[in-house]
Amino acid sequence: MANRKILIYCVTFTLALALFTHTCLAVDMRSAEEALVNAESDLASAYGAVAEAERAGANVSELFDKLRLAGDLLAEANNTCRLGDYDGAYSYATNCSDTVEGIASQALDMKLEAEKTCSERLFFTAALSSIGLSALFVVSLFGWRFFKRKYVRRVLGMKPEVREG
Amino acid sequence: MMSLEDFKLLYVLSCLSLGLIILSPTLAMVVRLPSGERFSELWILGSEGMAEDYPFNVAEGQAYKVYLGISNHMGGLEYYKVYVKFRNQTEHLPDALNGTPSILDPVLEYRMFLRENEVWEREVLFSFEGISFDGNFCKVSSLVVDGCMLNVDKSAVWDEENHGFYFQLFFELWIYNATVSDFQYHNRFVWIWLNMTVSI
Repeated sequence: MANRKILIYCVTFTLALALFTHTCLAVDMRSAEEALVNAESDLASAYGAVAEAERAGANVSELFDKLRLAGDLLAEANNTCRLGDYDGAYSYATNCSDTVEGIASQALDMKLEAEKTCSERLFFTAALSSIGLSALFVVSLFGWRFFKRKYVRRVLGMKPEVREG
Repeated sequence: MMSLEDFKLLYVLSCLSLGLIILSPTLAMVVRLPSGERFSELWILGSEGMAEDYPFNVAEGQAYKVYLGISNHMGGLEYYKVYVKFRNQTEHLPDALNGTPSILDPVLEYRMFLRENEVWEREVLFSFEGISFDGNFCKVSSLVVDGCMLNVDKSAVWDEENHGFYFQLFFELWIYNATVSDFQYHNRFVWIWLNMTVSI
């Protein structure tokens, strides 16, 4: 008798679990919208960081591909939310946030690296230019003396022409 | 023969030119020349990818195709959003003079990141479901874009002048402004007119 009761409880519990699990785990509109706002903010931050890194001269191809994927996911999340599918919207939005996770810090590192490389290159180029200018200055001074002497010699070597009237 | 003064001037000018050539790599890294005009392009093309054969007379259950394109000439990486909107003849269009978007809610959106001079183009497939005609009225219940069925519930009255029930499918371009941390209408939109007809 007791076993039968336990069996009935187990069956009832299993049925209730199957019936209410979906309802309990279903995402409501508010949660979906929250996820969308978070995804929007995450994607915007990632975009800002990648754009800055690109301006600094970093190679952002890999991050750019992730941004594209995240953009598609967020568009899909918004479109799904408009259709009233909050589960789908929530899933796409969290996927979007996951995709862009870490991009901002990666982009910042790349930006700093690119800026460092750029300043090193600028320093190197400026140093070479300075050496070149100094060499030019010295060579031009000696060159002037050389050309001037040559010019004077040439003038002195000229014979005055005498023309008969 | 050239005078010594002229020779000296020529020599100094030659040295200065050579100095500028030596300095040019450094100057190129430091001096930023003004860039040209910054703008974005938005276009819509017909079913063959040309500026012709746009869908016009449409009927329920038939699929139509257009190509939507964007190109970025803003000088760097940009974040764009395109809103797909649907209206009848009496509803609001974007205001090109004031640069304001249509107040209608979008039915769909696309997002894309474009680098300088990069082009984005995709085909947009659309069809209509639930078109009904009642005297001078035509009602469209659903618009299907890229497989997404969207409830639009729009009505149009018979246009005596142009002989048809006219609706417009239009695309607005929005751009992300990092200064205000939000999207702003980019004052560009493209559209196609659609005349609802009875499917045969």
